[in-house]
Amino acid sequence: MKLYRKEGNIVQILSFPGETVEKGDYLLVEDPDAGRALIVQVIDVQFASIPGVLEELLRSLPDGGELIKGEDVDPLEIAPHISYIQDASLLICKIRATAENDGLNPSSCWLPSRSQSTIKKLPLPTLLKLARIDGQLPITIGGTKDSALLTIDATSLDGRLNIITGKKETGKSHLSKLLMVSLVGYKATVVVFDLNGEYLSLGLTSDGRRNENHDKIHVLTPSENFKLALKQLNLHVMLGILIHALHLPGTSAREFRRIWQALKERDSLTLRELGETIRNWNCNQHVRDALFSRYHALVNSGVFTDNMVEATSLEEYLLKTKEHGGAIIMNLRNTSSIDRQIVVEYVLARLVESLTSSKLKAVFLFAEEAHLYLRETYWDDIVTRMRHFGIFTTFITNQPDTVRENIYRQADNIFLFNFTNEHDLDVVSRAARVDAETVRSIARDLPPHHCLALGRAVRDFPIVVKVKALDVKTMGETRLFFTSAANQ
Amino acid sequence: MDTTLPRQFLELSLHSLKNASDRASQLNQQTIQQFNNMDALDQSLRLKLEPLPLTPSHKENIVAAVDTSTIKIGETSTGIVIAVRGANVWKQNRHYRYMRFGPFIFHVTEENKKQVYETLQRTYFSSISEHGHQGAPSLFQMPMRIASMLERWLQTMTAKTMNNGLILFDGSLTAGTAETPTHRMKEILHTARKRNNVVLAFSKMTNLRVNGHLMTDLLPEHKPPYLLETEGLRLKPPMVLLGDVYVARLTKGKLAFRLDIDKEVRPEPRVEAVENLLGNDLFAESYPETLRLAHILCTFTANEVLAMQHFVTRRFGLQIINRPDMHRLLFGLFGKGEGFS
Repeated sequence: MKLYRKEGNIVQILSFPGETVEKGDYLLVEDPDAGRALIVQVIDVQFASIPGVLEELLRSLPDGGELIKGEDVDPLEIAPHISYIQDASLLICKIRATAENDGLNPSSCWLPSRSQSTIKKLPLPTLLKLARIDGQLPITIGGTKDSALLTIDATSLDGRLNIITGKKETGKSHLSKLLMVSLVGYKATVVVFDLNGEYLSLGLTSDGRRNENHDKIHVLTPSENFKLALKQLNLHVMLGILIHALHLPGTSAREFRRIWQALKERDSLTLRELGETIRNWNCNQHVRDALFSRYHALVNSGVFTDNMVEATSLEEYLLKTKEHGGAIIMNLRNTSSIDRQIVVEYVLARLVESLTSSKLKAVFLFAEEAHLYLRETYWDDIVTRMRHFGIFTTFITNQPDTVRENIYRQADNIFLFNFTNEHDLDVVSRAARVDAETVRSIARDLPPHHCLALGRAVRDFPIVVKVKALDVKTMGETRLFFTSAANQ
Repeated sequence: MDTTLPRQFLELSLHSLKNASDRASQLNQQTIQQFNNMDALDQSLRLKLEPLPLTPSHKENIVAAVDTSTIKIGETSTGIVIAVRGANVWKQNRHYRYMRFGPFIFHVTEENKKQVYETLQRTYFSSISEHGHQGAPSLFQMPMRIASMLERWLQTMTAKTMNNGLILFDGSLTAGTAETPTHRMKEILHTARKRNNVVLAFSKMTNLRVNGHLMTDLLPEHKPPYLLETEGLRLKPPMVLLGDVYVARLTKGKLAFRLDIDKEVRPEPRVEAVENLLGNDLFAESYPETLRLAHILCTFTANEVLAMQHFVTRRFGLQIINRPDMHRLLFGLFGKGEGFS
């Protein structure tokens, strides 16, 4: 390999047949005289622009598009040399760091010697060691191309904003389960908004037996084993539900506040009493109608109950997980859009409450396709206010344009699976911790179950990893018509 | 097929390169122009402006063409490194086929040029030509001489192996030069005739003029294809013309070429041969495809030059040194480079 040119933080390297280098590989450009080396990553492999190649190709096709047949008497055997030159490739590489005095710095402000530099492949285990991508709380994500294991530190997810994205069926949920189980293993509290019921069997092995996490996984299904009594709710939580999930206008909200306070004073915060009070409350008819329609929405959701025995204490579950770690899976499958928003409003409000009152240290929140239940103002809340309270969110989506741009800008870690759509790649490349060329070039060619890890967890060295298999029961598979017919 | 000459080419090539391995070399590419013989002629050429109209004949004939190419791929402190390649293309049953010989790479020095030249001559011709006795050509002429030798050998082989065909040469049928000794060209034409072949030689460029105008520019208003006959062309000895010279305009368009047809072939079969060529080959701008392919296949591309430079560097340890471009060096931005000189 030969150093050809450098422009900004892009280095072009000429590579010859036999030097097998692929996208994603790391190379070390060592300048012995300067005593330092550039660590570059291959983001694209192109044909080298060799003069005369076009003529070479054209002259083999003169007979109406059919290859002209013939014999070459080439006694000096020059043909292999021609192929050697013709097959030379140009590696487009991004400078990731400079290795100097046993350390790394992100600088790319020096120019290695074109004639003296030696270029060799940097095995990933060496890079991982150099970049100190390990840690005291290891989470093994999977294997790299060099058969090395990519192990990140759980602390790199702590206090961070993460995104797992990629097109359908590339393995996003698999990775999020892996991260979740690993965090639970380190006694962390995890809350999951499970839209498709994919996480319900995290406590079971693939053959249906209980695994070591079985007792730490708590699945809560609204209107089944997740019901709330009005007494469990604070007024501001209820107002949040009414205003944000059920779009109650301001005037009506003010009346509701009075009704709520009146019921609370009488210690009769029940659904039945709430309905009666709205009916008899002395207020404008339009306000009454507005309050009534929301009241019926609450009743019909099935989430609220007057039976205290039935009522679920989310706080209890959270406290259960505090000691030994655990995951609370909010099963939002088969839940209507409004009910989903009611549940999410309640859970987020309760989490903030528990965290501000220091009942909990921190919570790792995994939100699948959050645009389907997260209200507008929460996006900013999640990256600012809620993060300070201790809610560390991981967004999982196959529609990257549904996640707000500021989320990408502030994301600390991105686990990117395959995308072929230009628009999707455009959106992801807005992330601050990644350059657009890397995302566009590498993500497009990722095979299924391979992801490009970017950000703090990999010390800003983008690494392609095949996500390791997880021995948990698969759920959330798409129900197919033809598969069912074939099995019958 | 007699492969003595290619074998000798190979042996000499390897021998010359081995001797060059201890010398620093400079591998700057330079195409060696094929100079026309300039035909040292007197100014008595006349062009008959009455065209000989041609009707393409579709009687099946093999069309074969021969061409060679040479290129300088570098310099050493004592000589030059050159490459030579030849191609033979033929069209049969509507398909083109080819056979390419080379590239052969030679390191030619003042020291070894005589040996290289004479060994090749002896191998092929069993004797040294009339020009050979005058000593080896200059270093500058060597690439052309070696290429010409390969070309004559390919022409001989084609004439010996084909029957009832049309053989296309690149250039003229002028003989009596160091590159085209008369008796050799005569021998080739004789061999071709014996096997009922007709040799047609197309010159891409000519300096033959009638009344000061290039003869290929003097085209009458007549629907192509046609030939224009010439008369009165005499060359200064020792050069001789072994063909009769025509202007051939074979397709629509402004281009016409000098065409030499073997003198010993009677006029009628000559016209028939051109008509057969029209019916058996493709034409673009009056130039036959078979000859075009022969030229294309033997021409060196920049990629091949790089490959050959790579070969001599790897195999014979020649070191690549870039000679500074004197024009650039002296005149800066005003120096357009040596290629433009």
